[in-house]
Formats: sequence, C-alpha cells, structure tokens
Amino acid sequence: MDFTFPKEYELFRRMVREFAENEVRPLAKKVDAEHRVPFETIKKAAKLGLMGVPFPRKYGGSGAGETGYCILMEELGKVCTSTATVIGAHTGIGAMAIYLDGTEEQKEKYLKPLASGEKIAAFALTEAQAGSDAAAIKTRAVRDGDYYVLNGSKCFITNGDIADIITVMAVTDPSLGARGGVTAFIVEKGFPGFSIGTLENKMGIRGSSTAELIFEDCRVPKENVLGQFGAGFITFMKTLDIGRASLAAACLGGAQAAMEGAMRWAAVRSQFGVPIAQKQSVHFAIADMATEIEALRSLVYRTAWLIDTGQPHVKEAAMCKVYGSEVASRCINRALQIFGGMGYSREFWVERAFRDARIAEIFEGTSEIQRIVIASNLFREMGLRISP
Amino acid sequence: MRIIVPIRQILDPRGFTVSPRHERIFINREEYIINPNDKNALEVALSLKDAGEAEVIVIAGGQARLDDALREAMAMGADAAYLLTDEVLAKTDAAGVAEALARGIEKIGDFDLIVVGQETLDTADAQLGPWLAEYLGVAQVGGVRQASISDGVLRVRRNWGAGYAEVEVALPALLTVASGANKPRYPHGGRIMAAYREWQVITWNSEDLGLTAADLAPLTQGRGRAFPPERTLGERLTGSPQDVAAELVQQLRLRRII
Repeated sequence: MDFTFPKEYELFRRMVREFAENEVRPLAKKVDAEHRVPFETIKKAAKLGLMGVPFPRKYGGSGAGETGYCILMEELGKVCTSTATVIGAHTGIGAMAIYLDGTEEQKEKYLKPLASGEKIAAFALTEAQAGSDAAAIKTRAVRDGDYYVLNGSKCFITNGDIADIITVMAVTDPSLGARGGVTAFIVEKGFPGFSIGTLENKMGIRGSSTAELIFEDCRVPKENVLGQFGAGFITFMKTLDIGRASLAAACLGGAQAAMEGAMRWAAVRSQFGVPIAQKQSVHFAIADMATEIEALRSLVYRTAWLIDTGQPHVKEAAMCKVYGSEVASRCINRALQIFGGMGYSREFWVERAFRDARIAEIFEGTSEIQRIVIASNLFREMGLRISP
Repeated sequence: MRIIVPIRQILDPRGFTVSPRHERIFINREEYIINPNDKNALEVALSLKDAGEAEVIVIAGGQARLDDALREAMAMGADAAYLLTDEVLAKTDAAGVAEALARGIEKIGDFDLIVVGQETLDTADAQLGPWLAEYLGVAQVGGVRQASISDGVLRVRRNWGAGYAEVEVALPALLTVASGANKPRYPHGGRIMAAYREWQVITWNSEDLGLTAADLAPLTQGRGRAFPPERTLGERLTGSPQDVAAELVQQLRLRRII
C-alpha cells in the first residue's frame, strides 16, 4: 500500500494551485456579486488542458484520470466554488457521459472540442417533477425517420444556457420505464426546437448559471443517441457516480480553505488580551475540522483510485458526496463562528463560502439519495434481500 | 533554430522561515522549485518557439532532484531535456556546474541561442550566463526583457539605465534574462502527465562529459552563515511640527548626514 501521490500529480497540484491563486481567486468575489460566469477563467483553463483533465490525451484531455480531476476540483474548491461548479458540470458530468458511453465518432465530434475547452457541456436530467426520482422524467423522444423528436423541459441545469453540447435524458418507451425505456441523447444548442427558459436566481454559486431548457419538437439526429438505445438511465447513473467523487473533492477544498482561513484569523484576532487561537474552544473546533477533512481526503482519493483502476465505486462515490458536502458545510459553519461578525459580512469570503457550500448537499443527488445508495449497496454486498 | 535554456532549482521560499534572532533557517517544507528567473528565460525561449520554428532544449547540472525541474520545463513547452548528474556533479559549485553545462551543451551539438536567467533567487548567484558565454565563446547580452527573430536577425530589448535599449545580435549568442521580465506560462496539464509518464530526461554523468573530480573541485568553500542584525526602530520625535522638524534637522547634522 502506497498513499503518496506520484510526482506528476504533485506538479499538477502545484500548477493548479498557482492557477487558482493567481487567476481564479481575484475574480471569485466579483463573479458572485455580478452573478456571472467567469468566462475569462474558462478560456485560460482551457489553454492549460484544465477543461478535460480526466480524459485521455488522444481526446484532447490531460490524461490525468479521476485522481487528477479531483486535485483540480480540490484546488478550485479552495478559492471559488462557482468556477469549480462550471468546470465540474462541464467535465465531470456533461462531457463524462460522452466519454463513458459515446461511440468513437461521437468522441471525435463532441468529446474532443469539450476536452480542449473549445466548447462547454451540460448534463440535463432533472425535471420539475423528477429530481431525486430521476426515473419519473417526462421529456419524450419519438423516432421520426433519421431523427428523434424531443419534447419536454429540464430544470436546474448547470451551464444550461452557456453550453454548446448537452447530454439529455428522454423517455423513448413509457411502457418500459427506467429499465429500457429511457435513452440519452447528445443535443447541440443549435438544434431546431431547443431553447433556454428561465435562469435561476440562486443563494450561492452565483458565478455559475443554472437554466431551464426547453425542447419543442427538437430534432436530434439518430446518430446522437448516446450509449445503448433504452439504456440512458444506466449511462446517466454511471456518469453521476463518477461526478460525485470529484464534487466531494471540491467540498474538500472548501473545507480546507475554511479551516486555514479560520486559523489565520484566530492567530491575529485578539480578545481578552490574547489571540483567540489560544482559546481551547478554537483548538477544539480546528481539531474537529482537521480530522474530518483528513478523513474526507482519504475517502475522496481512495475513491478516485477505485475509479481510475476500474473497480466498483458506486457506494464509495455516494459516501464521498454525502460526507464531503456535509463536512464542507460543517467546517465553513465552524469557521464562520470563529470569524464572528466578520464572517457574516459580505465583505469577507466566509459569507460567500457559507452560501456556496449548501448546494453540495442538494445537487447531483441529495444527501438523502446518497444515503439510500450507500445502504442499498451495503445490503446487496451482505446478500440481504430487503425488497419482496 | 535550436535554443538551449539552463535550468536551476532553489528551495521553495514559501517553505522556510529565516529567524535572524535564532540565527537559523527553519525549513518547514523541503520543496524545490525552478529558479523563478530561469522560468523568465524559458518563457523568452518558448515565445520565440511560438513565433516560429524553434526547438527548445533544457539542461541542468548538479543534484539528481533537478530531474523534476526539467520535467516541469518540458511541461511548460520544452522539447527535450538533459540532466548532468552524479556524485561529483552534485557536490560541485556554481563554476563547476557552469563548466559541466558548457560541456553538455557542446555534446548536444550545434545551437543558435542560449537563454539564461540572470540570477538565482536564493544566493543571488549571477555567474552562470557570463561563465557559459566565456566557455562557449559566444556574444552575451545582459538584462534582456524580450527577444524576437525576423529575417534571421535576433532583436533584443534589454534594460538600459532607467529605460530600454533595442539591440540586434549575431547568432550564436547568449542572453541573460532580467528577473521579472515576463510572466512565465503555467505548465500544461496534459504535458505534466506526459513529462513523467511518456517523455525521457537524458542523463549524462561527469565521465560522459569528460570531466574528472579534480576538474569539478569547488572553487569556493562555505565557511559559515551570518545573519544581518535585526532592524531596530529609530528614535521617535514628538512635539509641534516646527519643533519636530528643527530637532530632525539637528539630529541629521549631528550624524553628519546633511
């Protein structure tokens, strides 16, 4: 057993950290305040291969696997959750679905420009009546010659309005339901019948956009069926499993940054004549944060290793997601308490981090769904049948 | 066109603290980075490569850990890397490294341009450029900020007093690049992976370079370390502005400053 990162990952982390510090951090407050996507950062990230980190070099990616991708997310998560969200939705789920189940032609046509960052991806599953109950989607796809005609709408789609290429799940046979009746499609923003609906005005991650997508007789060529016809649910679930580990990596970064920020503050903030860092209550808070962060780090990178080595990882990815999002929220909350009134001020990053953290417990599968995934996998592993 | 860039490595200054009071350097994290000024030099070379046909080769001499610096340079865009290292080379000083690098460059073959960082951040060692120019017998331009090539002529912008001078240089030549001359590019994510997983660093030892331990015996010897005294606060003058000004002038006169 060897827990050290190979040297390429150490250098990769150093590069990403410098990029995050120099290029991402200076914009973090601004994009949140102005409620806009940091396109200038995306352009710079693309030049460095950071829009396709997990994908092989032959598809224009960095070939750094899930481990490298988690490093990117961790470092971005330290400075700007919005930027991590934009790149995460693009790479971790939007483009990932094409990488996992696309044909060679689809990878050539769609994955390459996505991995190089020339184009932006989104992943469209959620609908008004189908969130946690993903199998309840209503968007329909009906065959018409060489095309499928899509009708319906998706909501809460990260990058929805800025994406050039969107992976969409639609019902192709209502009688079969999730098992066999749902198909994934690759939709280009220019396809006739596709349009953007309302944009969400969110509590946090305001430097990322969240849109409603509308399909009105949207014509999608039949070669844009992603993965096996009727197996769209499997494609999407596989994609989400992988996305969960990297999402947790961003949470890890957020938690770490909150702890370090609180420590720096505690070392200079004096009350009762001494720095509050001397107070045992602060020690305890920091020790608890550090311990949870370290546990999360082990979980995230072990899961990344499982993914990179092609081993089963569904349960672990769900654990990453639920634990990661909750550790981030707890750590940022504790950090805010150490910052006191300063932490509540809009002038300071802690307030933004607090708002940004909350979404991680909700999107890409709520904490409740993750717990169901974990428990049902455990029952299966133990050979216990719990459904009749 | 072939451009050669020597690379040096320093202890990451973010990883240690200097305590003049304890007369000690506390190393919190022992990590080495490319000498920042050498990254400026590499950036000059890579921008020439971007602008036209050029091959950029990086070379380093000394300790085996320079391997990481060379791979980072390749990830930034260098095409090939040479590492000169063994027990003797690891123990030589700046002059020995310069001689080894000169031999290494000769062994690589023809070159058009050598681009060197003017100095190192750690010991402010600014010898490498002049040493190499002397060993290799090429013209040297110092304080370089930018370089461009058009119609086979190298044009260089260099520091000149409070401003700049534009000079044309005949090739082959050696440029020493001023620190902070540019903002070096980041290494590319995919190239980082390839630099460790696919690409090779060619390694030569002192024997390959035709150098013996005697050739590489250090010319300098470290005798000890001294720390500058801690700065003490000056004397604070108080009173009305007129009184303070008068007192200040008197004090400056007493100390023969004015």
